[in-house]
Amino acid sequence: MKMVGGFFRNVLKNKVLLLMVLPGALWFLFFSYLPMFGTVIAFKEYRFSRDGFWASIVNSKWVGWDNFKFLFSTNDAYVITRNTLLYNIAFIFIGLVLSVLLAVVLSEITNKRTAKIYQTGMFMPYFLSWVIVGYFAFSFLSSERGLLNQIFEMFGAEPVQWYSQSKYWPFILILVYLWKAVGYNSVVYLAAIMGIDRSLYEAAMIDGASKFQQIRRITIPLLTPIITIMTLLAIGKIFYADFGLFYQVPRDSGTLYSVTNVIDTYVYRGLKTTGEIGMSTAAGLYQSVVGFILVITSNYIVRKFDKDNALF
Amino acid sequence: MGKKRKTFSLLLTSLMALTLVVSGCGGNKANNNAAPADGGNAAKTEKPVELIWYTIGPPQKDLDKVVDEINKYTKEKINATIDMKMLDFGDYTQKMQVMAASGEPMDILFTCSWAFDYVQNARKGAFMELDDLLDKYGQGIKDTIDPAFLEGSKVDGHNYAIPANKELPAQEVWRFNKELLDKYNLDASSATTFESLEPLLKTIKENEPDITPYAMLKDFVPAMPFDYLIEKMPMVVPMDTTDYKVINILETPELKEMLKTVRKYYEAGYISPEVATTTSAEDLYKSGKWFMDRAATQPFADNLWSASYGYPVVSSPASKPYIYNWSVMGSMQAISANSKYPEKAMEFLNLLNTDSYLRNLVDSGIEGVHYEKVSDNVIKNLPDSKNYDMPTFSLGNIMINYLNEGDPENKWEEFKKFNESGINAPLLGFNFDTSKVSNEIAAVQNVKEEFWSSLMTGTVDPEEYLPKANEKFKAAGLDKIMEEAQRQIDEWRAANNK
Repeated sequence: MKMVGGFFRNVLKNKVLLLMVLPGALWFLFFSYLPMFGTVIAFKEYRFSRDGFWASIVNSKWVGWDNFKFLFSTNDAYVITRNTLLYNIAFIFIGLVLSVLLAVVLSEITNKRTAKIYQTGMFMPYFLSWVIVGYFAFSFLSSERGLLNQIFEMFGAEPVQWYSQSKYWPFILILVYLWKAVGYNSVVYLAAIMGIDRSLYEAAMIDGASKFQQIRRITIPLLTPIITIMTLLAIGKIFYADFGLFYQVPRDSGTLYSVTNVIDTYVYRGLKTTGEIGMSTAAGLYQSVVGFILVITSNYIVRKFDKDNALF
Repeated sequence: MGKKRKTFSLLLTSLMALTLVVSGCGGNKANNNAAPADGGNAAKTEKPVELIWYTIGPPQKDLDKVVDEINKYTKEKINATIDMKMLDFGDYTQKMQVMAASGEPMDILFTCSWAFDYVQNARKGAFMELDDLLDKYGQGIKDTIDPAFLEGSKVDGHNYAIPANKELPAQEVWRFNKELLDKYNLDASSATTFESLEPLLKTIKENEPDITPYAMLKDFVPAMPFDYLIEKMPMVVPMDTTDYKVINILETPELKEMLKTVRKYYEAGYISPEVATTTSAEDLYKSGKWFMDRAATQPFADNLWSASYGYPVVSSPASKPYIYNWSVMGSMQAISANSKYPEKAMEFLNLLNTDSYLRNLVDSGIEGVHYEKVSDNVIKNLPDSKNYDMPTFSLGNIMINYLNEGDPENKWEEFKKFNESGINAPLLGFNFDTSKVSNEIAAVQNVKEEFWSSLMTGTVDPEEYLPKANEKFKAAGLDKIMEEAQRQIDEWRAANNK
């Protein structure tokens, strides 16, 4: 009784704040928590029922773990897991270094108008769809009319069949990803840098600290919390690959699969004709469970070192 | 300081809000149709029933206008109106899969062998079984369309959709850009087999450096006398089979020889070096910078091609006209399993397939707006026809359509003759049920995507890659699929006295 009363008093006291949380909470409830009941489809052989969606779920046969088997049944399981993990690790770390670097450089540009122009320029690629980025890349890499091959020819070098040589693609994919994502991510860090108390820098300057020392001793340490949070969030998605990047940019070229096939493209290719939604749900569940475990573990590790920087 | 921080967090928040809005926009467009409000027990009240009809093709500007006109007619004829919704070719499969899975209200829907797969969705329960409905309300359909269509589109002994009455067999032809043929005095009829193309391609390659001799796409597969269990998967039976043994096409000497020839053409530069990633040759057709390719034909196809490209195209046969499962199921209209008014839907389909006025209204639009009549059954497009340009083949019986100006008088008779010339492929009527091997299918599908295009288009050396591909196919479980297929085929043969 006392607890219930306490709860209501609490609600009443914080009603304005809670009201502000409400839209976000509802959004999560409807679009993240409610759909979680759908994971039950991962354990069913989904068949349509004429009485609608719920009846379909209820009437479909239970198949246990059968829907997960296709993810692990062949040698490809190793290839797609390796590709997904390694690319994402590369994206997270190279992306982090570059975004922070960019943010620092941008914050040090004294002419704010120029800084804005650079920032906007680097920011734009983020809003392009992968299909368009795929064609950008194609205009460089096309074997007949591509820019790179034309330059090669100008210098008398042999043209390269980019879309059938897998050895170049880890670099191309990472480059394309960074080009698209770094500008956007750097804005987050830039915002954090803008929030740093200017008097710290003034004090440092009076003490005779060089620019480099200021960055190392003030900017980076004060950025650490947000770096940790962003990295932890990215680790949660480490088992999700960016479908557009791995499907559109290599133009779905079969000879490149050993370095471009990731979990998402594998699932798409395997199921696009049969449309077994039980199996695709299983793949999604597997990715989120692994992501969940990874976030929990890495957060635990962060807590061990520095409690303040942990996500929860 | 504090102010600056605030501005930036504000910027950040609005940024994220913007991303949400932008990424949210693409979503739920298809969900805004209201369910029919009136109940199913309206038999006595005589209130017209509204049928929701999903069909394939780019949405048309004048669709609502034409649908109004259709409704005037159908209300009077069968006391029903139509709410017609079009989904573009590229979106159709995916959107319909989601809508069928989530139980979206709909009555009639387009299905076929190449979009929103008919057999699989029939087995999953997306469509209503039509056997009784056809007897009761679809007598006109049974009388009009070639019985081979209804027979060939049965799944496990039942009809789940009404096929469009159109060309029944599939025949491949070599197509040629006639201007180039004439320029170098080449003879289209000298093209018979794939090997016989060499002298033609060679002449063009040597004399016309800007022309792509063979306009090939990544989905190219040599035309060979094999019947595929699943399109572009390696399980086949030979056309002249007597024992119906399922084999792996990649292990046949015939295919090996063929791939050597393709490879030779690729290396000689007759085919674009980028063929394994090329999905469209539209730019070549538009600019006329191609010499030949292969395409599926129908009677008077040369006229159609010449008219659409704006320069003459001629063809010569590359295969016999075979009737395959997929050619029979090339275009169909099904009734959704959750339809509230299946009887009305069948009455409508019956009318669409037998009533020349309605069929032409759906296909060509309104007389005097989109077309005008030249004579009794010949029409001419008006400028507004671009606002209502429907894919004719997808909307039921094409043989009751008016002729276009310039069409030969005997067009539909020729179609009937073409249909009679068709040779039944061995697996006609057999539909592989993949549900027992769906894990293997998913794995094999991935191997296929990895090797198929590059092998078939000659992009890689078959000597090296054919064994590699076969090894991977085996590891992915191809043998298990073939075993299961063989079991089902043997059962089917026993049941059908094949």
